[in-house]
This record gives sequence, structure tokens and C-alpha cells, in this order.
Amino acid sequence: MTETAAPPAPPITAEHVAEVAGAVWDSFLGLPLQRTQEQPEPASGGMSGVVTISGAWRGAVVLQCSPEHAAEAAEAMFAAEPGSLSPAEVADALGELTNMVGGNLKNLLPEPSTLSIPSVSGGGDSQVFVPAARPVLEVPLQSGASVVRVVLWQS
Amino acid sequence: MRILIVDDSKAMRMIVIRTLRQAGFADHDFAEAVDGVTALAAIAAEQPDLVLCDWNMPEMNGIELLRTLRAAGNPVRFGFVTSESTPAMRNTADENGALFLIAKPFTAETFSTALAGVLV
Repeated sequence: MTETAAPPAPPITAEHVAEVAGAVWDSFLGLPLQRTQEQPEPASGGMSGVVTISGAWRGAVVLQCSPEHAAEAAEAMFAAEPGSLSPAEVADALGELTNMVGGNLKNLLPEPSTLSIPSVSGGGDSQVFVPAARPVLEVPLQSGASVVRVVLWQS
Repeated sequence: MRILIVDDSKAMRMIVIRTLRQAGFADHDFAEAVDGVTALAAIAAEQPDLVLCDWNMPEMNGIELLRTLRAAGNPVRFGFVTSESTPAMRNTADENGALFLIAKPFTAETFSTALAGVLV
């Protein structure tokens, strides 16, 4: 049996993730987002945004939250009334939030590398798996009563 | 003046326009495009005074759009509004004729500073 050496730890800490995501939530949503010790089970029916990074560093940034928080975030971004947005608009907002968190974390990683277009999934029972990669950093964050998890996967 | 906002996210286009208004640019005309290909057609048709463009987009990304414009001899004022802001990207933007690169997340003050002297 051959053992494969684990890749080196990414130069990103939970503090980096909390700082980046907190700045995005504060600036564009007007909502607090802070680290929490709470480690909830991956929510069935939750929503996930994913961006992949390829190049000198390879992996993905996954942002997970409840559909309710995704809708609250989208309503803040669109300055829309509660319940007034379409699923596509909520997905658009979650994708852009993922893009901003992923893009700012990519700034801390080795270059050159490329950030993908974000993808969003949700509403089902599926969890996010990034092929040929493993989760190396998971940061639970809290915004009011909602938990937002940022997971860094590394190939 | 006419400002074209190019971003594949509808939410982000709305935030950029809202922030421009907060920064004191409410009396300008705003148009939107969802990617570089659409923007290229809009620039040819509407001849904006300024293009505010995301970097990472499908079809044609922001730097490809800027290079296409400059290769065609189009000198339209152009700035990036993007979540990625490495020194290498800033250099690439500058070398290709972008006036500035605004990193997301931003504030109204960020736009006021970046656009000072541009929207005159």
C-alpha cells in the first residue's frame, strides 16, 4: 500500500476567513458575521456556493448556509422586500457572495492561479464534495441566528 | 455621462449602481451588460464614457474585453471592480490601459476616490 503525502497546509487561517467573510457581510449586507464555536451538522436542504481555484494552488472554497439566510442575504443585496426574489436571484446573490469570499481568499494563496465562475446548488439533500480534494479548513460563522460555514478544500 | 456596468451578477450590478449613487454620481446615466461579449456590443452601440467591469465572467472576461477594445483602438475609460486584486492582476490591468482596480467589497468612499478626476 502506497501512502501519498498530504499537501502542505494552505496559508489561510480561520481568522483570514472570518475577516474576509465578515467584511463582505458588513459592507454589502449590513449584517454581522462572526466566528462561532457551533459546529452544526451539514444542513439537509441547505444551499451551497462553490468556486474552484486552479494553478499554483488547487482546491475550492465552499460557502454553505440555510435557504432562509441565503434569501435574507439576497434581499439585502437587491434591497428587496422579504419573499420578493426569485430562486434565480437568490442563487445569483449567493454565487456572488461566494465569488467575493473565494476571490479575496485567493489573494492570499500562491500565484499564478485562476478562480472559476461560481456555481450554486441547494434545496436538496445532497452535500458538496470536491473530487480529488479534501476539506482542510472549516470555519463556522454566525450571523444572527444563522450559521454560515466556509470550507476550504485542497487538491 | 454614460456609465456601463459589466458584471455577470445581477445583484452586484445593482450594488455598483447603488454605490455610485451614494458616492454622488446619481446624475449619470447607467447601462448594464452581463459579460464581455454583451459589453462589447453595448460599447459599440452606446459609446459609454466609462466602463466599470468585473474581471471574472463567462464568455469573455474583463481583461479579454479590455484587450479587445484596445486592440480595436477604442480608448474608452475603463476600470475594474473585482473580488480578486493581486499585485499581478493590478499590473496586468494597468499595462492594458485600465484606470483603476476597485476590490470587492467596496464602499461609496472607494468609488469617490477611484473616480475622482475620471468623471469630470
